[in-house]
Amino acid sequence: MAHTPNHPVENDIRNTYQWLEDRLPIISFLNNSVGSNFMAPRNLSYMWNFGSLAGIALVLQILTGIFLAMHYKPDVHMAFDSIQHIMRDVNWGWLIRNLHMVGASFFFIVVYIHMARGLYYGSYKSPREVLWGLGVVIFLLMMATGFLGYVLPWGQMSYWGATVITNLLSVIPFVGPDIVVWLWGGYAVGDPTLNRFFVLHFVLPFVIIAVVVLHIWALHMHGSNNPKGISLTKQTDYIPFHPYYTIKDIFGLGVYLIPFTFMVFYAPEYLGHTDNNIPANPLVTPAHIVPEWYFLPFYAILRAIPIKELGVLAMFGSILILFVLPWLDKHPVRSARFRPLYRPLYMLFLANFILLGWCGMMPAEGIYVRIAQAATAIYFGFFALLPVLSKYEKAKPVPTSI
Amino acid sequence: MIRTFLTLAFLATWCLVPGAFAAGDAPALEKQQWPFQGLRGSYSKDQLLRGYTVFTNACMACHSIKYVGHRDMMRAGFTEAEVQALAKNLDMSIDQKLLTAQDDQTAIETFGKVPPDLSLINKARAGLADYTFALLMGYSEDPELIHHSFPKGLPEGAHYNKAFPGHAIAMPNPLTGPDLVTYHDGTPATVEQMAKDVTVFLQWTAEPERVERQHMGLYVLIYLVLFTLLAYVTKRAIWKDVKGH
Ligand code: HEC
Ligand code: HEM
Repeated sequence: MAHTPNHPVENDIRNTYQWLEDRLPIISFLNNSVGSNFMAPRNLSYMWNFGSLAGIALVLQILTGIFLAMHYKPDVHMAFDSIQHIMRDVNWGWLIRNLHMVGASFFFIVVYIHMARGLYYGSYKSPREVLWGLGVVIFLLMMATGFLGYVLPWGQMSYWGATVITNLLSVIPFVGPDIVVWLWGGYAVGDPTLNRFFVLHFVLPFVIIAVVVLHIWALHMHGSNNPKGISLTKQTDYIPFHPYYTIKDIFGLGVYLIPFTFMVFYAPEYLGHTDNNIPANPLVTPAHIVPEWYFLPFYAILRAIPIKELGVLAMFGSILILFVLPWLDKHPVRSARFRPLYRPLYMLFLANFILLGWCGMMPAEGIYVRIAQAATAIYFGFFALLPVLSKYEKAKPVPTSI
Repeated sequence: MIRTFLTLAFLATWCLVPGAFAAGDAPALEKQQWPFQGLRGSYSKDQLLRGYTVFTNACMACHSIKYVGHRDMMRAGFTEAEVQALAKNLDMSIDQKLLTAQDDQTAIETFGKVPPDLSLINKARAGLADYTFALLMGYSEDPELIHHSFPKGLPEGAHYNKAFPGHAIAMPNPLTGPDLVTYHDGTPATVEQMAKDVTVFLQWTAEPERVERQHMGLYVLIYLVLFTLLAYVTKRAIWKDVKGH
């Protein structure tokens, strides 16, 4: 890469490709990363579309977000009005806002499927532990960004959601309450909180971009896993990313955009909460405080445990445990296809995750708490069983090539 | 695995989404057919004007619509001359928003609270437009019904309402009987008609962009379906030599 004196540099700018290549080899870099020089397994299913979809969803959030930020005002007296100004007076403001709102939900749908794919095909296993770990970092950053963004319109759920979630940090021993005051910039969620949440919500997506670059870098070290979960050896097992996977991703994008567009134009607030169309009011607590749908499973874990400290620990633990997944599941076979015990357990885990989401939506009382407790136990039980399976599960015969 | 996913996604939509609305403890609402719903739904100018008439005559004494003024109604197809005339009737300029003359202090003394701004009301309650309509139709003087919810009698200053959560609302029935207003198009002003019309007007104030949105959406969807079909055909053509496909 570095300049070598014995390599004569092309000075003829009419040979533009070589001229640029000698100065900044960006075209060959792209070609090696997502072009015809990057080889991918030829048997990837549509489940492998979700990585590039997530990338597109991220770019869309950033673009729409920038235009929203041009009209939004992070001030407790103006925030709610400025959103209405965007919806009513700004040219195409309603479209930009609906894209951003629905886009956030769809981004999470895509990433949840992306993660579930990795979980099913053992993509987190050696040698892709770092790739997976970077994914978990992205997921945490996304959750932070989503939470911060939901506060900005300064509706009732914005305000009370922010209050409930930031208050969780007060359980940290000794310094907890001080940390919360520091975070708020006052003694309650207020103007300083909103202002800094806006700044952070603006900045974090760019941090996500940086981690995505690392994620893709790590991906390129060993290439994609595949539905059979086996390491490929033959040259013929591979096809160039371009044009095969570029066109497949474009088709996948079209399929994705249809329900997305439908929501943007016909049900933009379907996934939101009606209370957020009421301006924030510190004196009136909503009957039920619920976070956005994509936090519900974790919210359910939080509320399932009657001791607040343990609940907070369990909630964060339920995500952080993903970091050590590659060391919990050390079964040599990657793909669930060939694991007669892991496969049903995986199904149970996903169904249970949905059940947790449902619990998170219900009031934290009576039977709902019992169900949430059982589901929390199953959630962690899944991870606890993995080391046992790694030792004793007998896999079906694994094919040697695809 | 793709089949598993579709099943789970189906399951998730079924149990998660309707639950979001069932979670509250508000009374069940009757679903209405609204003209603004559906792929080609829209607002009729006549109905908006009727709803506006009800709002300005029967609601604006207490409620504001602070995000909407007469000029904004031009977006719904009213001409400048028409909105000028409407505003003049109320001694307003067309750039003023529809603010009530009642000040907060008086409201608190009379009702114990400030009547909420109605700009977004149809998006701010579970049940949406169906709720607003049910609320307006939900007043009752039936002593048995009242006794059932309030064995010790209604709280001081409250009115019984079937749709309001808790059934005791501070707002007196605004639509006490027919012909509170005279419609420009001769439609008989029954209580139900007035409730429907003002609800539709409030839907418009909540989502003035709705018709543009729905019409544009159809074209975008048609475009995307064509785009996706083309992408699919191209994908098939490019992949035809790959083994196993
Ligand atoms: C005499 C004053 C008055 C008039 C006239 C009036 N309202 Fe109200 N309205 C109130 C008050 C007070 C409340 C607050 C009720 C409460 O929270 O208990 C209210 C609340 C409401 C609510 C919100 C209920 C909720 O779920 O919180 C709606 C919707 C509403 N009014 C619609 C209307 C409409 C439509 C009209 C005209 C047809 C109207 N109001 C006329 C005083 C009035
Ligand atoms: C902004 C969010 C994300 C983006 C843009 C992104 C992007 C990508 C892309 C483009 C790929 C290659 C295509 C594919 O395999 O689908 C990929 C692979 C992968 N991602 Fe992500 N990702 C994101 C979040 C995550 C998260 C949250 C996780 C898990 C916690 C994760 C784990 C993985 C793994 C394990 C692979 C390799 C899969 C395999 O080869 O089987 N990613 N990612």
